[in-house]
Amino acid sequence: MVRRLSFVAAGVVLVIVAIVGFVGLFMLRQPGSLEGTNTTIHLETVAAVGQALEWPRPNDPHPDWVGYLPTTTWKVPANSTIQVQIDQEDGASGLRNPFWGKVFGTEGGNMHITYFDDKGNPQEGDMTSIDPTQAAHTFAIPDLGVFVPLLGVNPNAPANSTNVITFSFKTKGPGVYRWQCFVPCAAGTLFGNGGPMSTIGYMGGELIVS
Amino acid sequence: MGVFRIEAADRPHLVRLLIIWIVLSAIGILAVLQLNYPPYDQSIQGQDQSRTLALLTALAAPVFIGIVLMILYSAIFFRRRSAELVDGPPMLGNTPIQIAWVVISAVLVLFLAVFGIATLSSENVAQLVGAPGRTIGGGQTGGGTTGEADKEIHIQVIAQQWYFTYRYADYGGVETTHLYLPVNHPVELHMTSLDIIHSFWAYQLGVKADANPGVDNIFHVTPQKTGSFQVRCAELCGLWHGHMADSDGQVLSQSDFDTWIAQQQKDFETITKAVPSYAPYYFPLPLTKGS
Repeated sequence: MVRRLSFVAAGVVLVIVAIVGFVGLFMLRQPGSLEGTNTTIHLETVAAVGQALEWPRPNDPHPDWVGYLPTTTWKVPANSTIQVQIDQEDGASGLRNPFWGKVFGTEGGNMHITYFDDKGNPQEGDMTSIDPTQAAHTFAIPDLGVFVPLLGVNPNAPANSTNVITFSFKTKGPGVYRWQCFVPCAAGTLFGNGGPMSTIGYMGGELIVS
Repeated sequence: MGVFRIEAADRPHLVRLLIIWIVLSAIGILAVLQLNYPPYDQSIQGQDQSRTLALLTALAAPVFIGIVLMILYSAIFFRRRSAELVDGPPMLGNTPIQIAWVVISAVLVLFLAVFGIATLSSENVAQLVGAPGRTIGGGQTGGGTTGEADKEIHIQVIAQQWYFTYRYADYGGVETTHLYLPVNHPVELHMTSLDIIHSFWAYQLGVKADANPGVDNIFHVTPQKTGSFQVRCAELCGLWHGHMADSDGQVLSQSDFDTWIAQQQKDFETITKAVPSYAPYYFPLPLTKGS
């Protein structure tokens, strides 16, 4: 009798311990970290991936979608400085939240840009922010605190002109960091955030830090 | 069909079950009251929620233990020992037992209702029910509230696919990427969205409120402990919903907060001039491409 009763009591305690243990173990998981080296990422932003100047994807299922090229998933080392060059070919469409017009999270808090002024003349310099209405896209890795607005190509620039934006940032420990564009640049979709903004491979992707 | 009654032969089982249930329930109640319940005590409102959760868990513990106990006891003591299938005796019910469970359940539910109403009408939580859309002081040119401990700080939480930003109405409308709050200072949060429906959830502060486009949803909170807190979106909002989070929310001492907000005003001075004047509703018109 006592033996069977002790089974019952032990069973009740076991169920409670199992529940508490599961919740405790699940909530206490922590990631680790690794050392890394410098890496360069070269990208192209276009109004239609099928008509890109450098890495066109004419056979893409959505050749008229806006996108980053050649890929939107990048592997980089942890705790490293990443150099980024973006060849920006798209025109301005403006930010919904003008706040994203500021550069932050990059080394030096700025970006270097070659672009074309209103007269179509090439210009070059460092910038810490742009006119939010002149943004074509942004490059943002929120979990790393990196936000870079990309100036749209001036309509007075020569045909097939490209703004070249360069900057660098530092990675943290290993993990998968999403990146995205904060310009609602998906034409014809709800609030401009559908289609290519909501599909990995166009205006968002992952930075795999290992 | 007879009336259900406990046979004399079964009374020892009942006594045993009752004793085990009382002992385990007492241990269970004492044990669950030792636990620290989320959202913990980083804010006055969060502490209220923790206490309520502790009470509910303590009330639920005997019920949970009773059910598990009944299942295990029956499985061990009343399990069928032969392969023979025999129906149990038909039973209609037992009026005293039915009255007992109805009364006990009613008392528990009524107690929780009264407790809930009392909590909702308390000073801490009554503030949560703000008048949506009312005008906020400060604005783009507003001064700081440093040193004015009783005056609420007005902060607009701006949800957008897929990040939260924060505008400090009383500090020139400066917008930041992290939510920092001064300790022991009442804060009035104004939740809104630039696109679709989000939900602002500052876990340790006990704040969870919808952020809807074109709506000013107000929530009052008073942090009472310094330290970090997590922010995440609690409304499925698209591709990067799972990443719409920030683990760098901070409750700071007043002096640290003053230093931090002054630095933010300096860092974001240029872009603050480019954003619209502070207003309870922040719903810029769609621009060319995404319209």
